[in-house]
Amino acid sequence: MKKETLKRAAALSMASMMVLSLAACGGQETEEASGENSSANVPAINDITLGEDYQDVKADIKILTNRTDIVDKVYKGYAEQFMELYPNITVEYEGITDYEESLQLRLSTGDWGDICYIPSSVDKSELSTYFTPMGDFDTLDGIYNYCQEKTSDGVVYGIANGGTASGVAYNKRIWEEAGITELPKTPDEFIDDLKQIQDKTDAIPLYTNFAAGWTMGAWNDYTGIAATGDPDFKNNKLLHTKDPFSKKDDMTGPYAVFYTLYEAVNQKLVEEDPASSDWESSKGKINSGEIATMVLGSWCVEQFKGAGDQGDDIGYMPFPISIDGKQYVSTGGNYSYGINCQASEDNQIAAMLYVKWLLEESPIFSDEGSIPALKSGEMPDCLDGLEGAELLSDNPAQDGEEGLYDDMCNESELLTGDYAVSEVLEAALYDSDTLDNMMKTWNEKWTSAQENLGVEVTE
Amino acid sequence: MAKQNTAGSLEKKTFSQWVSQKKIQQRLVIITFLFVPLLLLLVFTYIPFGKMIQFSFYDMKYIGPKVWVGLKNYIDVFKRPECFQSLLVSVYYMGGAVVQLALALFFATLMVFKVKGASIFKGCMFFPYLICGIAVGFIFKFFYARGYVLDSILQIFGMDLENIPMWLQDKSINNISLAATSVWRYTGQNMILFLGAMMSVDTDLYEAASLDGANKWHQFIYIILPSIKSIVVLNLILSISGSLSAFEPPYVITNGTMGTGTYFVIMNRLAHENQKVGLACAMAIVLLAIIIVCTVAQKLFFKYVFDDGTSDESKAAVRKRKRAEKAARKGGNRA
Repeated sequence: MKKETLKRAAALSMASMMVLSLAACGGQETEEASGENSSANVPAINDITLGEDYQDVKADIKILTNRTDIVDKVYKGYAEQFMELYPNITVEYEGITDYEESLQLRLSTGDWGDICYIPSSVDKSELSTYFTPMGDFDTLDGIYNYCQEKTSDGVVYGIANGGTASGVAYNKRIWEEAGITELPKTPDEFIDDLKQIQDKTDAIPLYTNFAAGWTMGAWNDYTGIAATGDPDFKNNKLLHTKDPFSKKDDMTGPYAVFYTLYEAVNQKLVEEDPASSDWESSKGKINSGEIATMVLGSWCVEQFKGAGDQGDDIGYMPFPISIDGKQYVSTGGNYSYGINCQASEDNQIAAMLYVKWLLEESPIFSDEGSIPALKSGEMPDCLDGLEGAELLSDNPAQDGEEGLYDDMCNESELLTGDYAVSEVLEAALYDSDTLDNMMKTWNEKWTSAQENLGVEVTE
Repeated sequence: MAKQNTAGSLEKKTFSQWVSQKKIQQRLVIITFLFVPLLLLLVFTYIPFGKMIQFSFYDMKYIGPKVWVGLKNYIDVFKRPECFQSLLVSVYYMGGAVVQLALALFFATLMVFKVKGASIFKGCMFFPYLICGIAVGFIFKFFYARGYVLDSILQIFGMDLENIPMWLQDKSINNISLAATSVWRYTGQNMILFLGAMMSVDTDLYEAASLDGANKWHQFIYIILPSIKSIVVLNLILSISGSLSAFEPPYVITNGTMGTGTYFVIMNRLAHENQKVGLACAMAIVLLAIIIVCTVAQKLFFKYVFDDGTSDESKAAVRKRKRAEKAARKGGNRA
């Protein structure tokens, strides 16, 4: 008898559990179905007062990052600081190796977490499919840097996690030992200085880090503002220019950037063995003075300083191209934070709170040596060397052409990825092709991409 | 039993009767056991493959809309010079495959005769196959790097660093360096396969042969090789089609730069760096066609020249013998 009742009780509890779980399923489904609208009540990022609003929101949010190296220490620390402010919200980080490719696949499922760095492969026109609006462009542009990068139809879908300047990292001590008193302003001066370093010191004048791949792709960043001084060049003029890679008499434009690389390699001013160069050990070598120069974004400065005990020797200068006697440095946003528009409303609000906190109150920018997200923030010390040059960032594309720059790069296979720049280095190394010849081919590729995409050529 | 059955067949069978029939039971068992593997095969092989064929007709990226372009992707594959130039790089890997098979045969033959420490040797030879390809890539990246392992070893033997080529940078040698890594990786596995086949040869034959005065070389040529012919041919076919799709060494060690880009590396680059997914799918299908053609051609070649191990004589040998017989007959008639 007793056994029987026990059985019945068990059966009943099982049945009720099943019903409950079914109900839970149903609930989730309806929530997902209305997912499109659930962001309607999410506030704009500028309407929130941190520490006061939304103290009652309860949520567990997950944030994805590519920084697997510091996710468990530094980023976790940020999350803990935030959770003290908002005890009802739990923030969990997930570090992802191979970030770009994984995210491309995970985004399309909708079930990836609450905050991520928006992968660069997401076109502007697709932002609204995946991400919650953060506010109007006109309002946010006055508050944050680099808003235009993730803006579509006047709505901001992501705000950059600070920014980076594109210049050249160098070891001040070695450059002084070589007897260089004035920093180079043109590609030819730069090459002459490298020669002087080669003759007078034991250091490798310019380290290309060819084997790492992405270090070659970094050269593409200098073809815009640094080479032309024109914030409209990259997203607007370049796309409509006929033969943008041609040589100019005043040594500006994309040609000058690749000329610098080609000549340095061709005149053997780089490491002897680019194919077996090693990124991790190069950080220590520029710190100790075995390497004199590396062409990389300003984010690298903090890493170089931390890679040995002579961190004070690391300096940062503008890329050696002058436009009418003046040097320009392009700055651009790092990855932008985006919020999953298919998550529940509470999660979206909690995510918005955390993003705002990260952008405005966390120590993330001084820790990483990047340009702060807030326009009112202070420039990091490592960029002192850029004084005298003008810092600009790219203007957005005109309406209807938001995705065109990416499309043109993909179609022509130029200015994106590492391979095109690698080809320049290979041609210089083996002396198999002249730069003029290569740039001619690139111009042809650019023209055929313009034809394929139906882009009007105006200049 | 018989009576019951006839009675059952007259009435309409109930489900439980139907299901307990022996034939039905057999089928049910077969279906239930096959269901899982077939489902996996379908979900993870055939459906993705069908999708890939579909994608190859579109101009598309990973994210975003796709546009139907018909055969344009296929035409592009044949128009792009680097696609087919990269197949030439595969020739190095095919050469590597031949070396690898020869080495494997050599070591397997050594080990089929009694050797001291055979199992340790076998273990050491097979070990590289257990390491994943990416890790092998990293090992050799440092092995070949300027001034690292290989250069140091050569310097110990008195070579001057000036005279040592740059293994990954010198275009005359870098593809050989890369192919050597895959030889290193797969020799042990081939050796084990050969050894397995050789074990099945009756050991009395060796004894009988040595009584007749055959040395080890004769034993290898006349006893071992004919008995394992089919597995040698199989391995050769697998290695050649494998070398057409070589990917890991060039991708990890040189990223396809400095003239080491194989077909797969270029395909990967187009799909991931330039987001030309449709074009990459078309390339994959063209490669599939090339591999099928190569495999069939090899199969026919071996069938004709060596026979594939199923009959005693190859067609070429048969023809040669008949011709000789015919000539002998003619000669006899004349005499």
